[in-house]
Amino acid sequence: MASMYLKSFVGLRQQVSTEKPHYFFTSQSQTKPPRKLKLQVFASKSSPRLTNRNLRVAVIGGGPAGGAAAETLAKGGIETYLIERKMDNCKPCGGAIPLCMVGEFDLPLDIIDRRVTKMKMISPSNVAVDIGQTLKPHEYIGMVRREVLDAYLRERAKDNGAEVINGLFLKMDVPKDGVSPYVLHYNGFDGKAGGVGEKRTLEVDAVIGADGANSRVAKAIDAGDYDYAIAFQERIKIPDDKMAYYEDLAEMYVGDDVSPDFYGWVFPKCDHVAVGTGTVTHKGDIKKFQLATRKRAKDKILGGKIIRVEAHPIPEHPRPRRLLGRVALVGDAAGYVTKCSGEGIYFAAKSGRMCAEAIVEGSENGKRMVDERDLRKYLEKWDKTYWPTYKVLDVLQKVFYRSNPAREAFVEMCADEYVQKMTFDSYLYKTVAPGNPLQDLKLAVNTIGSLVRANALKKEMDKLSV
Amino acid sequence: MSISLALFSPPTQPPLLFPSSPSKPHLTLIPHLSLRPSKFHTTTKASAENGAGTSPSAAAALEIQPDQKVAETPKQVVQKDERSVGANGSAGAVETEEDKVLSQFVDPKWLGGTWDLSQFRKDGKTDWDAVIDAEARRRKWLEGNPETSSNDAPIVFDTSIIPWWAWIKRFHLPEAELLNGRAAMIGFFMAYLVDSLTGVGLVDQMGNFFCKTLLFIAVVGVLLIRKNEDLENLKKLLDETTFYDKQWQATWQDEKPGSSKN
Repeated sequence: MASMYLKSFVGLRQQVSTEKPHYFFTSQSQTKPPRKLKLQVFASKSSPRLTNRNLRVAVIGGGPAGGAAAETLAKGGIETYLIERKMDNCKPCGGAIPLCMVGEFDLPLDIIDRRVTKMKMISPSNVAVDIGQTLKPHEYIGMVRREVLDAYLRERAKDNGAEVINGLFLKMDVPKDGVSPYVLHYNGFDGKAGGVGEKRTLEVDAVIGADGANSRVAKAIDAGDYDYAIAFQERIKIPDDKMAYYEDLAEMYVGDDVSPDFYGWVFPKCDHVAVGTGTVTHKGDIKKFQLATRKRAKDKILGGKIIRVEAHPIPEHPRPRRLLGRVALVGDAAGYVTKCSGEGIYFAAKSGRMCAEAIVEGSENGKRMVDERDLRKYLEKWDKTYWPTYKVLDVLQKVFYRSNPAREAFVEMCADEYVQKMTFDSYLYKTVAPGNPLQDLKLAVNTIGSLVRANALKKEMDKLSV
Repeated sequence: MSISLALFSPPTQPPLLFPSSPSKPHLTLIPHLSLRPSKFHTTTKASAENGAGTSPSAAAALEIQPDQKVAETPKQVVQKDERSVGANGSAGAVETEEDKVLSQFVDPKWLGGTWDLSQFRKDGKTDWDAVIDAEARRRKWLEGNPETSSNDAPIVFDTSIIPWWAWIKRFHLPEAELLNGRAAMIGFFMAYLVDSLTGVGLVDQMGNFFCKTLLFIAVVGVLLIRKNEDLENLKKLLDETTFYDKQWQATWQDEKPGSSKN
């Protein structure tokens, strides 16, 4: 199924794929040694070699995307500047990271507050299904505090040679040609909390915009808008005996009362739980949905006190333009949040890393100037690697978050062991594994059965109210 | 008082379905027992002492009305009142009152988080239609009065315990009859029309490729377009399937081949 999606996606692309090796040496007028496997359909411009200095790249935004990008750039020998406006920012976030992120980004285990190994899905009629029995002992979903994770990644970038600047990015001057630098204007804070900061400028050759859902870099390159969901969350400190229940368990509540197009959740944090919900289409009713979520979880959070209320936007799909010239967007700024689960941390970090890798490669470790084509490679690689994941989650959201009967069927399907195994495998390792075709067929039949039954019951329910 | 109140049908069903139950004076309370909780405040005063006297526990409710097939509305109404008062009173803090949070959906046939099939026996076999009805009522109730999910009383009902033929008999067959009827009418009329226009009989029509195509279109049309809205819905569905792809492609539309601008 994944390959079918991939084929249709590739066919729509205008640029020819770089995988075909027979187009190896079609580039003309190369005065420098041939670049690696670069497919040229159009005349190439020779990128000038930089004299006396390395490539300068600025990463705007010091979250997971920015931190990962800055680290990879610095390791690749590039003069890196990481501009972050608030060093102790506690980004409101679900805080869940998949297992593969720990390995891929060498995260120390003490960053992870909790290891969630069980999840409970609760349907509109409160049918509760436990998932996680198929997890192996070493598998878990890591719950982190964003301030801890972000700080760690930034520190690591700094240790590798990136210069971390505490400043607020304001705007940037776009150069007219391919060699002049981008001039960034920012307010430098110099570590002083509060205060306006002083206006400074910075000249760089390329920019990675990792400044989140309300990205200013995106505005600067006219990247366009995206639909976004509002996620609203309350941190609630609950009594210890109730907290014990959430020791390694997270809950997901689905239903029209909780959210018309998303889900409500109870995620355990370091010493409290985060109860929240989100929506795209009915943002005005978010408070109502939050009350409903609290009501559904009431028995388990009884006696709790709200210690913090927070909200943040979650992009629903990538921006129309993710790249312009030598400026690329990564993470939430680009809109790399999956549907259905709303997962963004891993994809932010991974896209930051991928973009940085493309720059390092395109500039040959900082020795050459980069151009748009080098950055486009990152987009290609990203879309090729993760498109199946995004598409599958989009389909799941469209099918199972449609209506209450669909959600009931969704929860019923989650009780199936094969579903659990496939879900966790693809979530924890970020691959869309093909699975056993016979089991897939059985799963398809069961899914249709569940959907049909739930919709039939809904018809009965509608008759009752008449 | 409690017994007569108990004879009421649940708020989701109009009194028409239970013609034998309530006597006239009590009928006035029925319109108040709507699904909107705000109305409950006024009606609960009468039964306040009733509910407050007994401790709010599901067991107590079950004891009082063991034969009732329907949910215990008066008790639930009172409890709802207490809870909403509590919610209004505590500003900023989650409910801190001591009362135990419990399920408001109470039904004698609902045991241990699922329907007790042994109570649905009819003529020695399980009456699946009644199970379907009961579950529909439960879901309807919960849709209007969402309640907390509880660890002590987890709900484990799975619709797949109802066998496939029960679903088919109840839901698919009537619809199938309808659709087949439509198909037959269209088929007969078209066959007659084509025969009268071209002189080709029914058997010969089936041999023609064009006619076979028309037949296919007719069958698909009858299956997919059952209501007037379905045409719009199908178009929207088609757009939906490709919308996300287009959003991802947007950045590639940007790139013009041969562009050397940086």
